[in-house]
Amino acid sequence: MFLRMITASLLRRRSRMLIALLSIGIGATILAGLVTIYVDVPRQMGAQFRSYGANMLVLPAEGTVMERDGLADALEKIPPDEVIGATPYRYVRLDMTSRQQSFTAAGTDFSQVPKTSPYFSIEGNYPEHTREVLAGKKIAETIGLKTGSTMELTYQPAARTEAVSPEDSRVPGAELAGNAEGFGGGIVYVSVKLDDHGAVAALEIDAGTQTPEYGGRTAEDEGFLGQFIGKTLPLTLGEDVDALSGATVTSEAVVQAVNSARKAEKAAKPQTLSFTVTGILTTGGEEEEYLFISLEDMKTLTGSEQLDVAELSVSAPAEQLEAYAEAISQENGAVRARLVKRVTRSEASVLEKLTALVFLVTLVVLLLTMICVSTTMMAVVSERRREIGLRKALGASDGSIRAEFLGEGLFLGLLGGLMGGILGFVFAQAVSVNVFGASITFQPLLLPAAILVSMVIAALSCLLPIKRAVAVDPAIVLKGE
Amino acid sequence: MSLLELKNISKIYGELKALDNVSLHVDQGEWVAIMGPSGSGKSTMMNIIGCMDKPTKGEVLLDGVDISRESSKALTDIRRDKIGLIFQQFHMVNYLTAVENVMVSQYYHSMPDEKEALEALERVGLRERARHLPSQLSGGEQQRVCVARALINHPELILADEPTGNLDEANENIVLDLFARLHQEGTTLIVVTHDPEVAEAAQRTIVLEHGRIAREVINENFGK
Repeated sequence: MFLRMITASLLRRRSRMLIALLSIGIGATILAGLVTIYVDVPRQMGAQFRSYGANMLVLPAEGTVMERDGLADALEKIPPDEVIGATPYRYVRLDMTSRQQSFTAAGTDFSQVPKTSPYFSIEGNYPEHTREVLAGKKIAETIGLKTGSTMELTYQPAARTEAVSPEDSRVPGAELAGNAEGFGGGIVYVSVKLDDHGAVAALEIDAGTQTPEYGGRTAEDEGFLGQFIGKTLPLTLGEDVDALSGATVTSEAVVQAVNSARKAEKAAKPQTLSFTVTGILTTGGEEEEYLFISLEDMKTLTGSEQLDVAELSVSAPAEQLEAYAEAISQENGAVRARLVKRVTRSEASVLEKLTALVFLVTLVVLLLTMICVSTTMMAVVSERRREIGLRKALGASDGSIRAEFLGEGLFLGLLGGLMGGILGFVFAQAVSVNVFGASITFQPLLLPAAILVSMVIAALSCLLPIKRAVAVDPAIVLKGE
Repeated sequence: MSLLELKNISKIYGELKALDNVSLHVDQGEWVAIMGPSGSGKSTMMNIIGCMDKPTKGEVLLDGVDISRESSKALTDIRRDKIGLIFQQFHMVNYLTAVENVMVSQYYHSMPDEKEALEALERVGLRERARHLPSQLSGGEQQRVCVARALINHPELILADEPTGNLDEANENIVLDLFARLHQEGTTLIVVTHDPEVAEAAQRTIVLEHGRIAREVINENFGK
């Protein structure tokens, strides 16, 4: 009879109860949703944070050169499924001769860039072929680049200052290349061929950067060039070689370049390639001042496969990341790894704040639900004063009045919790997909937990209304309206 | 044998004496009507007899027990066990069917028994309407359900407050016939009314005025 009365009360007095049920249901939905998201959030946040960029850098160790093999070795220290992306970078200055300007160019692997730098926003497309360039927004604005524009970029090898001494290169028959700063800062390039005895057999001068009518003549002046033939390096200006009149500085540079010349490398001379712009890059950061080209083009330009840095995005907690970094740094002397601390640390602090936020919202929702249910039940009690009086007149004890209203409340809690548990998961799923772009797994404990919490809330909300109900005087049923 | 005895009871609200030194004696099996204009103290007397209020002074003996000093919890128990109530406004639980309304009374008293509840409805001629909600029943039918509800627990006393006040004549007669049958079966009836016709159906009429018993009329024609 108890159940029959309660269910009849709920079923045949739908509208009122629907409001209470709805408030409990919505409360439970939001709670279940929040809790689901909250449980899933560390995983989500990890993925989310990695989308703000790489969390590990692999760099060449002091005094060594890193190439792609070195990077591949380093990657072996991390389980492949945890590596979201690994993007190599090589930075050089490239000249745009037509505008007499130079820009920083980054050679990279475009297939990896979106994985480690998902915040790159591109108008157009990533380059897919060689001879294509992705231009930073600021550069594009400065020189008026658009998708489809073409540009010529030149790589100027820097003046030789490397450790390998020119003496070691002066073996008989060697082909040497060198350069030195000439008039007005322009670089003078030389190619030297040695004969079987180690003396100069041939000399070619590229003085394109010098004033044509003065220093520029060094490249053509037979008399000047002839002075070098048959001489053994190093040479001294004024003793072995006389300066070309009117081009003392350039002559001095030529002698220096010859003396510093070493075995020719492919790129000892400037290389120029023509590129087509496929996209304009916006990041809000310094990347907007770079030109991005493929590693293949970078190799063609510079003649080397050297890498300056590789950005890694690894899906692992902070401690594990540190372990990986250590393993990579210790394994071989060639590369070292370090963590991008800013991202990993902010991940932890944001999670903390999120926990507090979820807690706060939960509290507020609980409170609002309680107020709503309590108000509805209060209205229900005053609406049913007559009935309560009747029940008491018929002999209902305070206990049975309490039990009936509590029973209704708990029943509402049960239904609301069930509804909330299911809808909450749907809600969490929707939020997760829309905000984090990932689906979440159903927590089997969620349903009983949502029901329990809803029932407790409903019971608590009923306390005051029940007190009112118990206080109803049975005598009210005796007289009129 | 005496079922109810009011001994010099008064009910005083501040200055107002709702009941002023009233004494009344009702025997087992008696059918008594209480009449009087509004403000005469009818309702107060009804509340006290119905164990829903206590007198300021005096004693109320119901079935030999003084109920004037009992706690409200004890009064609830006494009301449930000994008294069946019938109201002017019928007062059915509007989301329960006729038979369920009868069963509510059983539920608070002891155990709900649908078969017994249906038999009670049969006695008031509403067996066919047992599954209807109050909104689907006429006023007369609702009051008959309330009579069935009042007698379901075999109370010592049936206390009716203006039972026909909201009924047309045909239904009034049906209800009075039911009362007559209950009286024949030995049930004690106290009916509060201002309708002389209803009062005349009783054996004895008590007339209240200004909180006192003004007069008592024995119905010579009773049973004829």
